[in-house]
Amino acid sequence: MKLISSLLLLLSTSFSAIAMENEQAESWLKRLSQSLNTLNFNTSFVVVKNNQAEPYHWFHGVDETNTELEILSLLNGPRRDVLRKGQVVSYIEPELPPYSVNANHISGPIPAIYRQDITALIENYEFISVGRSRVLGKSAQLIRIVSRDGHRFGHWLWLDMESGLPLKMALITRKGQLLEQIQFTHLEITEKPAESLNQLANAELPQVLTLPDTEKQPFAWQVNWLPEGFERIQSNRHRVTQTKQPVEFMLFNDGLVDISVYVNPSADKQRPMEYVMNGATVVLNQVNNGIEVSVVGKIPSVTAKAIADSIAPNAAGGQ
Amino acid sequence: MSESKFETVSGLMDNYKQDVEKLDSVLNEQESAQRWENYHLIGDVLRDDTPESIRLDLSTQIAQAIAEEPTVLAPRRNKFIQATKAKVVQLAKPFGQVAIAASAAGLMILGVQTTNVAENEQSVPHQQVIQTYPIAGVADPVSLNYQSPNRAAQKQAYIEQQRRFQALLADHNQQVKLSAVTKEASNNGETQAQEQVEDTPK
Repeated sequence: MKLISSLLLLLSTSFSAIAMENEQAESWLKRLSQSLNTLNFNTSFVVVKNNQAEPYHWFHGVDETNTELEILSLLNGPRRDVLRKGQVVSYIEPELPPYSVNANHISGPIPAIYRQDITALIENYEFISVGRSRVLGKSAQLIRIVSRDGHRFGHWLWLDMESGLPLKMALITRKGQLLEQIQFTHLEITEKPAESLNQLANAELPQVLTLPDTEKQPFAWQVNWLPEGFERIQSNRHRVTQTKQPVEFMLFNDGLVDISVYVNPSADKQRPMEYVMNGATVVLNQVNNGIEVSVVGKIPSVTAKAIADSIAPNAAGGQ
Repeated sequence: MSESKFETVSGLMDNYKQDVEKLDSVLNEQESAQRWENYHLIGDVLRDDTPESIRLDLSTQIAQAIAEEPTVLAPRRNKFIQATKAKVVQLAKPFGQVAIAASAAGLMILGVQTTNVAENEQSVPHQQVIQTYPIAGVADPVSLNYQSPNRAAQKQAYIEQQRRFQALLADHNQQVKLSAVTKEASNNGETQAQEQVEDTPK
């Protein structure tokens, strides 16, 4: 009897310990989002994938009018800057003349969800507070965001225990293999926004583009399988910029990860599945019965293959 | 037997007359010929009569070395490979230029991988590309004549494939960027959408 009760006690304490750890992780992530939105910081980080490293410089600040100001620059190669003034995000890229769009976040190497309500992920991911270590000369708390099913990668975050800001991030397979990481190399938190942000506040940003209304044409193809929690956030027909190939395009998102699906007729009758991994991003392509299907996203190749195989003619004949 | 043979050689050295039969056997056998040479050399050294440089059997060594020299063949093979490579590069060039014009960024993303391919083809299947070529294509026993066009075709296919991947990756990133916009538009731009709907019937 005693033994059983003590066992029960042990079990309950361990359960509560796990629950507490999860709660702790969640509060850490909430703090991350708050820090990313409200602090004035000036930081550098390096994105490491395969055998390449991309260095970035990132300024963030909030001015007197409570407008968020942000500059994210890629430091190697042709100039690639993203500027943000409140709800206006401007992209300065070598391929296109500078343009602005209405958005409340920058799309860059750091997932937008980290600045938003992280609890939106709770259906598909588990938050685990793991332990402490030293990163960028500071004591850091390691939080793992682990997929509840086996179809996604794990996201690890090392957060500054003082400020809650990220110091390191990594994408890890279920077997623990490191695919891609973001290592911060410098972090400075200031009371007032950096001088360059003040300049941005006064600068005039390029004209805001109004996107053409997405055509409501019936789609010929549909995806029949996706991991739980992925929702279609975009679908259109467009030409792939570089190849001029017209495609039927669908974009899915589970809150953290984006998956693009492209379908188009091909000149080849059959081509076996081919894929490359660019860091954690898989680019998969196959031709089956003259229909070319491509899947791109930060997901395991097996998941991408399953999605590609689930493409079928749209039963509803459009929507 | 061999002892007596060398005795014959020794005897000949000292100008002792020998049988014609023995003389023939000494002349025909390499071992005794070498002995003969060595004895003479020893005699020369003793008499302080050596030539300026002792050649020993350098001549035979050199002849042997030349015969066995592997580098004699290698330059020819290299030239052949270089020729095929040059052809592939020529084929690849127009595509490369198109790609540069289309997007320097795309190149930046996958450029490192493509350059690596040229340097170290072996590592590609393990690291970047898995199941790039149909298995049958690789396993096919190909004769020498057909090998180079096949390789060129494979390289061509590989370049095509890299271009495809590059284009898809760039497009994916672009679409993700734009998706942030549409989300925003659907959140606070409902009136806009309605206006557009109202506009269309007019």
